[in-house]
Amino acid sequence: MVGGNYRPSLGRRQTAWFASRAGLCDYCGVMSVPLAYVDHFGLSPADLRAVLGVALSSGGDFAEIFMEHRTYDFIDMEEDIIKETAEAVGLGLGIRVIKGDRTGFGYTNDLSLEKVRKTALTAAAIARGKAGAAPAPPVLRDRTKAKSLYAVRRPVHEAGLRGKIELVREAYEASRNFDPRIVKVKAYYSDSLKHMCIANSEGLLVRDTRPMVKLVCVAISEKDGKRESGYWGGGGRVGLEYFRDVLTPRRIGEEAAREAVLLLGAVDAPAGEMPIVLAPGHSGVLIHEAVGHLVEADFNRKRTSIFWNKMGKRVGSELVTICDDPTIPSFRGSYNIDDEGTAPRKTLLIEKGVVRGLLQDRLSCRLMRGAALTGHGRRQDYSHWPIPRMANTYIAGGDDVPEDIVKSVAKGFYVASLSGGQVEDSGKFTFSVSLGYLIEGGKLTAPVKQATLIGTNIDVLKRIDRVGNDLAFGLQTGTCSKDGQDVPVTDGCPTLRIGKMTVGGKS
Amino acid sequence: MRRAGQSVAGAGARRVRGGGGARAAAVRAIPLRDLAESLVTYARKWGADEAEVSVVDGYEFNVDVRRGRIETLVEAGSRSAGLRVIKDKRTAYASSSDLDMGTLRRLAKNAVKRAELGNPDEFAGLAPRAEVKTDAGALRLFDPAIAGLDSKTKIGLAMETERAALRDRRITNSYGATFASNEIHSVLVLSNGFVGEYEQTYCGLGVGLQAGGTDDRVEDSWSSSKRHFKDLETPEEIAKKAVARTVRQLGPRKIRTQNVPVVFEPTQTAWLMGFLFGCVTGTAVYQKATFLEGKLGRKIGNERITVVDDALIPGELGSHPFDSDGQPSRRTVVVERGVLKSYLCNHYAAKKLGLQSTGSADGSGVAPANFFLEPGAGAIPAADIVAGTKKGLLLIRTLGHGLNAVTGDISRGAFGLWIEDGEIVYPVSEVTISGNLGRILENIEAVGTDFEFHSPVTGPTVKVAELTVAGS
Repeated sequence: MVGGNYRPSLGRRQTAWFASRAGLCDYCGVMSVPLAYVDHFGLSPADLRAVLGVALSSGGDFAEIFMEHRTYDFIDMEEDIIKETAEAVGLGLGIRVIKGDRTGFGYTNDLSLEKVRKTALTAAAIARGKAGAAPAPPVLRDRTKAKSLYAVRRPVHEAGLRGKIELVREAYEASRNFDPRIVKVKAYYSDSLKHMCIANSEGLLVRDTRPMVKLVCVAISEKDGKRESGYWGGGGRVGLEYFRDVLTPRRIGEEAAREAVLLLGAVDAPAGEMPIVLAPGHSGVLIHEAVGHLVEADFNRKRTSIFWNKMGKRVGSELVTICDDPTIPSFRGSYNIDDEGTAPRKTLLIEKGVVRGLLQDRLSCRLMRGAALTGHGRRQDYSHWPIPRMANTYIAGGDDVPEDIVKSVAKGFYVASLSGGQVEDSGKFTFSVSLGYLIEGGKLTAPVKQATLIGTNIDVLKRIDRVGNDLAFGLQTGTCSKDGQDVPVTDGCPTLRIGKMTVGGKS
Repeated sequence: MRRAGQSVAGAGARRVRGGGGARAAAVRAIPLRDLAESLVTYARKWGADEAEVSVVDGYEFNVDVRRGRIETLVEAGSRSAGLRVIKDKRTAYASSSDLDMGTLRRLAKNAVKRAELGNPDEFAGLAPRAEVKTDAGALRLFDPAIAGLDSKTKIGLAMETERAALRDRRITNSYGATFASNEIHSVLVLSNGFVGEYEQTYCGLGVGLQAGGTDDRVEDSWSSSKRHFKDLETPEEIAKKAVARTVRQLGPRKIRTQNVPVVFEPTQTAWLMGFLFGCVTGTAVYQKATFLEGKLGRKIGNERITVVDDALIPGELGSHPFDSDGQPSRRTVVVERGVLKSYLCNHYAAKKLGLQSTGSADGSGVAPANFFLEPGAGAIPAADIVAGTKKGLLLIRTLGHGLNAVTGDISRGAFGLWIEDGEIVYPVSEVTISGNLGRILENIEAVGTDFEFHSPVTGPTVKVAELTVAGS
């Protein structure tokens, strides 16, 4: 959408993934301590109500103010030194007005009441009605809930930089010392704390304080002039205790190095159609691309998605049940409220192969008869308007024992680790495998390097013929991009077999 | 901060206003330069040996229309500041979209303190002060006509583009049309005395379409992006290209896995050049994150390959007078007749590698200016390249990532047109192409004359002797 990229991003979604294997984020059961909300905006409920009145002054149906204050910390270690640290502050407010199916939007990072009123007038212009036509918005009622999904015991914003630097150093050194063939390592740490407040013309006033932490490591290996790279990381809406209790920096460093070294001995991927087995966890990228984007309400309302006329119809095998759940504690894709102030709920998308639900935001919900809000209206920040997005998307576990699934394939391709994916509305999608294995005689044999898999979602969903009982979630480092907006997401998947799919290797 | 010369979207790609009419007067009343200078002074006062401040002020307009109605209309101004401090050879960065002086001073003070926690880096430090001889005005980066356009005209252009496309009966749905424009004012102040400032504009118009039924649909789009409004393609031209690009994919077949010649359309050469750029940055080289490390002065492709990065082409999207290190922009021959002549470096990477900066700094990284494959003397018309192909794939779109700079390996989902005996016979979809950039550069056997700056990273049609196309 808006921004420096003038080629409108039309109908393409992609996930810059860096997801990976194993259910590392079994993180429930931690006592949840809500983070305190701090007001950085200096606008009283009465001010907000007045601004909403201005926003509706040309006859808009709905108006909304989204305020955001974000702090961000970043540490980068490479060449054996802590090379950079960075700190950022983001402050701003976005106002949108909806009239029918039209949206007017403006934003500002000058929060003076005068500038905010001017921004409201810019957004209001979309309605093109008579000035003063709208009734005054109702008195705002604060609906913020005390309960939080973000399990934080040692909040990052209370920790000093020194402690965070130690985490980076630990990951870096573990990776560097893993194997003599590791020639370069980069380790990055970032955290952010976002205070947000939403007010709308239906009288809603709601706030949230969202933490996010991420620690990742990239290792480069070299042997006989040949180089490969490995990636690993973790984080989520957690505190620093995560790196002691759930995933240690040492493990992050070692796993990145392990992958880089393993790939030195990898062969080129085979080319052509063959049976595919997906490892649990990271392979959720497939569901994200093949199903998730195409059940986002906007593409169905506009009838560009292949699913628009398939509600209640079978699109996949009976073994396929897919949900999106923004309420999993501590996950990267989770939130207490969506970016329109709606309490999110676990949403059933595909049940036993049949399309059952869409991911809704307010605009699509208003325009689609019989639709209910699901709490999937998300935005990158105050300078973007909300659109339907995924949160934590996964395919439910089945009955098969994972080892039996691999044993069932005489000759095929095992996907161990993925680096990304992309889909278009026709249902054609790809995902990029960074590490795979050949399956020969029911066993994993040679490791395989980079390959792209391509398919059409309806074909692939029908060909899912074995589903393991080992549902797991991928690395807590994934980011999904749609219409130029990036949001954090998580995907999950058990071991899966797909009867056949095209592998883009070399022949 | 991302240098405001890029047409690449990103958190740092700020949209700024400035120049032309009443709005410009309002902007110039805000002393961006004073703000930057005072922040540099403040950081020095708190103990920074060196400091760099960039401030960007932007104005953006964006309208999306679909099926003859406005979907979204955006108008906004925003500002941001970026800061780099160096203390005892230790570097720290800060940035903010809150330009309150109290916030900025706190960030500057924190940055000095944070720098003390880092490690000394012998290569850290600002570039020596350089004289910028390029006249920003002569680069034609700013078009006052864009500031003068009213909303109605801009909305009308998007409407007209979509309407023209939907007139074609084969088009069954629309992703909508977009008109966007930005005005950006950037200031850079360094503690070595460098002060630079310029204004620039962008505008863009495009449409995305679908053809076919629900279960066999195909899609594509076309758009035009320029710095000057008068250079934009007309709504009719854009619609015509978008329609042609979409409908030519109707009724695709899947082909058998085979190794064949692949002809890259200019839009596809563009991503190939983008990948090459990522492999020739000084940053990737010292990180050993590119297969072209250690190849300077060596042959990395055949004599048809000449690649240039040129920041000084008047009016082009990637042009700018100086980089974010305050170094003058220049033209750099990256590959000359197959020989790797230069990596693209910011001051830091250059120092680390014992090379000269190429004026390619962008924040703490490196960015392309206008980075392109030159057609060269042996170039032939694109039509002749297709006509001279006995059997092969004309690559028209790709899907997915699948580019690995460490190895040069490429593996992507592909859409194309099948060529037999020099004729296009049917569209192909749901296949992948795979190969290696190093081998592709050695095996480009024809380069087209159809070169134009549709995007700042680009090239003409090229034919690669052989790639694996995987299908059924």
